[in-house]
Amino acid sequence: MKTISKHSRAFILHPSSLILALVVGVVLLYGVIYPSLRLLLASLERGGAWTLLNYVEVLRERAILEATFYSVWLSVLTVLFCALVGVPLAFLFERYEFPARRIFSVMASLPLVLPPLVGTVAFIFLCGESGILARAVQHLLNLKSAPWSLRGWGALLLFHTYTMYPFFYVLTGAGLRRIDAGLGEAARSLGARPARVLFRVVLPQLTPSLLAAALLTFMTSMASFSAPLFFGGGVRVLTLEIFNARQRSDAPLALTETVVLAVISLGALIFFQRYEGTRRFVAAAMKGAPRRRQPIRSGAARVIAALCGAIFTIMLALPVITLLLVSFARQGSWTTEALPSAYTFENYSRILTEEDALSVLFNSLKMSALAAIFALLWSLCVASLVSRRKLRGRRIISLLVLVPWALPGTVVAVSIAESYGQPNPLTGSFILVGTFWILPVIYFLRFMPLVVRAVQASLEQMDPSLEEAAASLGARGWRRFLRVRLPLIWPGALAGTLLAFVIALGEYVASVLVYVPANRPVSIAIAAEMRDFNLGTAAAYGMLLIVLIALSMTVAARLERASKV
Amino acid sequence: MYSKSVRTALLLILSSAFLLSFACKGGGGGSAERKLTIYTPHGQDMLKDFVARYRSVHPEVNVQFLDMGSQEVLARLRAERNRPQADLWWGASHLTFQTAADENLLSAYRPTWADKIPAASRDAQDRWYGTYQTPEVIVYNTQLVRPEDAPRDWDDVLDARWRDKILIRNPNPSDSMRAIFGAMIWRYYKDTNSAAGGYDWLRRLDANVHEYTVDGALLMQKLARGEGAISLWNMPDVWVYKEQKGLTQLAYAFPSSGTLVITDGIAVVRGAPNEEEARRFYEFVTSVESLTYAAQKYYRLPIRTDIDRNQLPAWMNEPFKQMDMNWDLLRREGGEWLRYWDAEIRGRQRN
Repeated sequence: MKTISKHSRAFILHPSSLILALVVGVVLLYGVIYPSLRLLLASLERGGAWTLLNYVEVLRERAILEATFYSVWLSVLTVLFCALVGVPLAFLFERYEFPARRIFSVMASLPLVLPPLVGTVAFIFLCGESGILARAVQHLLNLKSAPWSLRGWGALLLFHTYTMYPFFYVLTGAGLRRIDAGLGEAARSLGARPARVLFRVVLPQLTPSLLAAALLTFMTSMASFSAPLFFGGGVRVLTLEIFNARQRSDAPLALTETVVLAVISLGALIFFQRYEGTRRFVAAAMKGAPRRRQPIRSGAARVIAALCGAIFTIMLALPVITLLLVSFARQGSWTTEALPSAYTFENYSRILTEEDALSVLFNSLKMSALAAIFALLWSLCVASLVSRRKLRGRRIISLLVLVPWALPGTVVAVSIAESYGQPNPLTGSFILVGTFWILPVIYFLRFMPLVVRAVQASLEQMDPSLEEAAASLGARGWRRFLRVRLPLIWPGALAGTLLAFVIALGEYVASVLVYVPANRPVSIAIAAEMRDFNLGTAAAYGMLLIVLIALSMTVAARLERASKV
Repeated sequence: MYSKSVRTALLLILSSAFLLSFACKGGGGGSAERKLTIYTPHGQDMLKDFVARYRSVHPEVNVQFLDMGSQEVLARLRAERNRPQADLWWGASHLTFQTAADENLLSAYRPTWADKIPAASRDAQDRWYGTYQTPEVIVYNTQLVRPEDAPRDWDDVLDARWRDKILIRNPNPSDSMRAIFGAMIWRYYKDTNSAAGGYDWLRRLDANVHEYTVDGALLMQKLARGEGAISLWNMPDVWVYKEQKGLTQLAYAFPSSGTLVITDGIAVVRGAPNEEEARRFYEFVTSVESLTYAAQKYYRLPIRTDIDRNQLPAWMNEPFKQMDMNWDLLRREGGEWLRYWDAEIRGRQRN
């Protein structure tokens, strides 16, 4: 007993924890607190004087009030629709066994890793007013004009639901796996009907997962930019108003709107953080330990379930298939036809032979890998620090870590560029603007919350007595970390790192503001080809990006399996 | 063993991180070759072509370009004011250049051909010079609109028969659209000294607009695919899409009361890290040969007056009527006009 208590005291005063606290403090101070404060202060300034005038003006402008209202409303509706799709799907795949269930269940989380820009482009090709689907329906029904237009609320909700329902699907699935099956059985044996069991036993246990999914969906939707830009029609949302104000060089307005958006997102975050379930997201997302599933016995029901799965999977895959198709379309062969009329390998050969073109893929890989690796190391620091129950301010650290995730990508990029664009004694005149490193740093800041959450979740599930046992057997700090802690949190940490890596690969909204020739990422190349109407080349880049993502997920799955043997 | 493989993996990751950061240093710079960085909205096709042509004369120069909208160029130069990254800014309307010049973002350079262009097409203090003329025209889809039915003048697009048939590019990031909107406001402003009449015109336009598109490429694509029948856009782009991108159904008409002509320019960035290289490329793309080539291949109307007009495509020599415009007023008031349009006019005329 004596040795253990001595150990735990030593743990707190140990120089390694001091270093840990220093690292976490410095990164948070310079990466999160300082840039955010600068942004806030800039919104309170006009003509060199402190004033609330910007806010007064913003609150007087009806367009901005509308944008704020519609942003929130759109996000609430998105949460609802995503829940309606994701939750039943999770029940179907988690509770029942039918042919090809495994493939369908993997496919269902596909949109999670589809880069927003690529997804948007594919959606335009597929369901746009003059896209493949619209043209096909028009020909089929012999209509005079396009059967629909991909604009406004319908289009926004469709795209948001497509890209964000996996939050609900993945988290509900993970929640269902954790539920104690015995409780349901007990309720049933006491005579409860299935509906009653669902509402009184299953759903209450799922609540943390559902709330976590709702939060992620809400924040992602608030920060959504590509979708309102391309499909918004006349709908005003905050991200778009910020973009337009920036384009008009109306910096004070853009800043003030940014702060309004950030406050709403952070408010939601603080509100939901009380339900700690959020953290389990990533770890649960990739673990996939199946429990007992009920096989569907009746032949007809099996066919129907499999058919539903198949139809759903095809719907999910359609945007990717469209992209594949367009990536083989000959330049200028797809103008008014429903489908491209001529096919070629030219788009790919052009990318693979041009020196420039390959370098963008390499750049993206390099920067995402850097960001992900540093995020992994950093999250180990944060998680170790925060897991110490005695530490004061753990909640604040946890919250600060999540701030970049709650901010739209544009905001993170602008605040970093503002803070590290000029010599300034406060930052040691450290300059990032115009260097290669600005993008890895921004990727790191934006996506490290995913890794931190994953590692934290794994640490929480870890039995602390294991480390105590190791300590009582005389294992020192480092040894304990390497031999006990790390192996246990490894799968979760790896999953989070992979997710951060994959999302960083396709990052666009922040990159476009600050990239330089030396770090031009693939998303910028896609946008540039789109701008020049080289649709085939843009699609080919998109496909290569998807292949890269698929490859890295396969490698990670191998790595995880290997570490379990 | 469990922990062994984890340790191997961790070692692998750490060493790859180390190697990566090393590789980035190597790729980032430090090479002895001469460098030039250009910010430009001219689009990849044209840029790659000109860079290749330039490199065939100066193979020792490593030319890099960042292609982005002209407003984005301006925003970047502002952000990089204390640590300029770009050497040359090639392409934007003279209004945007003048704004940048007033904010002290450009450096004066007097090209060898300075006296070969009209005084109005250059900055009095040599901070920017005009390169191309960009006429703004009425564009239509010939599959939906017969040439004789197409709008002939600006006011014709307000006609009720174009309701829900007009496509307009989002004017916030676009020099062309800002200028057109500004010109429409100026038509009323010059008599009434107020923007109200112009706002009214834009309201009536808004009532006919089917969609405000994100960028020029989508505008041309949607127009060609018949999502709308007519649009207002710049002439060189229409030619490019018609001749090189397969959208042969596009056609344009000069507004009969006069067309708006934007001066497209070029400038050396203040504090450019490679100012010498910037000037060399500046001279290269504004040489008579390059301007003639740009005219033939990219439909750019040269401003220089000492060009052999016989070398230019025939249509470039057909005269067109220019519209009068108070550019200074647009530069002063344009931001406020656009803000008002965005907040109070856009999308508010539906139903």
